[in-house]
Amino acid sequence: MEYLGRDRREGLGRKANSRVLLVILILVSVFLLLSSLYSAQASVFKKAREGVLDAAEPALELFSGPISYVNGLIGYVRDYFSVLEQNEALRQENAELRQWMNEALELRTVVAGFEGLQSYQAPPAAQPVDAYIIGEANDAFARSMIINAGRRKNIETGQAVVDADGMIGRIVHTGANASRVLLLTDVQSRVPVFIEGAGVEGILVGRTRARPAISIVETSEDVEVLPGQRVLTSGAGGILPRGLPIGLVEQGAGDDINVDLYANYARTRMVRVINFEFPAVTEETGAFVDDAQEGADVGADEPDPAAGG
Amino acid sequence: MGYRAQNLLSMLKAMTPTLLGLLGVLILALPLRLFEDALPTPIIPLVVVFFWSIYSPDYLPSPSIFVIGILQDLLMGGPLGLWAAVYLVTQYIVSSQRAYFLGREQKVVWLGFALAAAAASLMLWLVMSLMSGALLPVGALAAQITATVLIYPLFGAAFRELHSRVLVEA
Repeated sequence: MEYLGRDRREGLGRKANSRVLLVILILVSVFLLLSSLYSAQASVFKKAREGVLDAAEPALELFSGPISYVNGLIGYVRDYFSVLEQNEALRQENAELRQWMNEALELRTVVAGFEGLQSYQAPPAAQPVDAYIIGEANDAFARSMIINAGRRKNIETGQAVVDADGMIGRIVHTGANASRVLLLTDVQSRVPVFIEGAGVEGILVGRTRARPAISIVETSEDVEVLPGQRVLTSGAGGILPRGLPIGLVEQGAGDDINVDLYANYARTRMVRVINFEFPAVTEETGAFVDDAQEGADVGADEPDPAAGG
Repeated sequence: MGYRAQNLLSMLKAMTPTLLGLLGVLILALPLRLFEDALPTPIIPLVVVFFWSIYSPDYLPSPSIFVIGILQDLLMGGPLGLWAAVYLVTQYIVSSQRAYFLGREQKVVWLGFALAAAAASLMLWLVMSLMSGALLPVGALAAQITATVLIYPLFGAAFRELHSRVLVEA
């Protein structure tokens, strides 16, 4: 039954593979690895990544449809068995939300009153682009997803990506029809955030674990961060809009402030790219202008996921 | 069958391991989410590289492995050259131990694969930790490598059938 390699001498007799070529290629790979440390933004590498994204997009799209259909079926069957508990939970949530709705309606009239004041100038609204997750890096260290929208839909590097629950990550590569989203849990991910209630700004740092940590930027005094406080994007740096929900401060363990993300990456299917243009104030007019170029420039300074920390 | 068709067929056969490796990379990039991400996607290209490096390196020359690795790096968004280096080093180690593995029982080869996978993951972890400047958690990597080792007998058997029945004979 053991067929392969039974005749050892025959298998070994031929000089099967050029060892020299193998060693050369290993050296080339190591050279690429080292050079990607220093020139991750080099246009050659960037072009290659974008090209591969675009080339893989039709195949990924072809397979991801059936996969999500099957996953949906499995989820459906699982839900069927817990329908009573879910119903009860939803009823409770519904009652809670109805209270919130009343509060929101009251607030809307108040806000409308303020907006009626003459000095008010509305900030430019974000223009969201909807997309599906068609790919995912199933890699132990690289945490990213591929979505089926790219430059053709005005998606640019640096833009925030959210799903129904909260922010999931940022765009790092854009092809014509597909883009890569660097997830908040990736080692390379850095997102400026603030903790609601604590009045602290910090940077959300991914660590390949399920819960990224916040490193506080400046501490003039002792900050008290309580578990359960909301973590939102701070908008510092002018790439992301302020106030996108990210998660909750986890029950404190040690010095780290860990964040329980709202997003559940195992379930994320549809996402929305926040095409946000930071309002810039020109010196001449003192008015808001849409300055897409400025946003693009800041985005270019962002670390590439391949760049290393 | 015409001469041209036969030529094409033999070329296709010669390319099969490479294509399987590329397919494995594509599978890695799909949002499979087996059991809601409880089961990590196995690294099928590693199986392809290991198998053909032992039984027939002619069918998977090092440039093919290089291309598979580079494609995986580009598609995963990780540092360029990392997976290429991992696969090529795996081939280097395996081909130096070929004489031992050829004709052995499948259990022994499986153990060899487990060792090769462990070596590959150690390399991966070292490089990624060096590049990110911190000791990265090993849990996710260990889970993925375990999944890959566990599926080896299945894929090994399938590749054995494919290789001995389709690629070499007929």
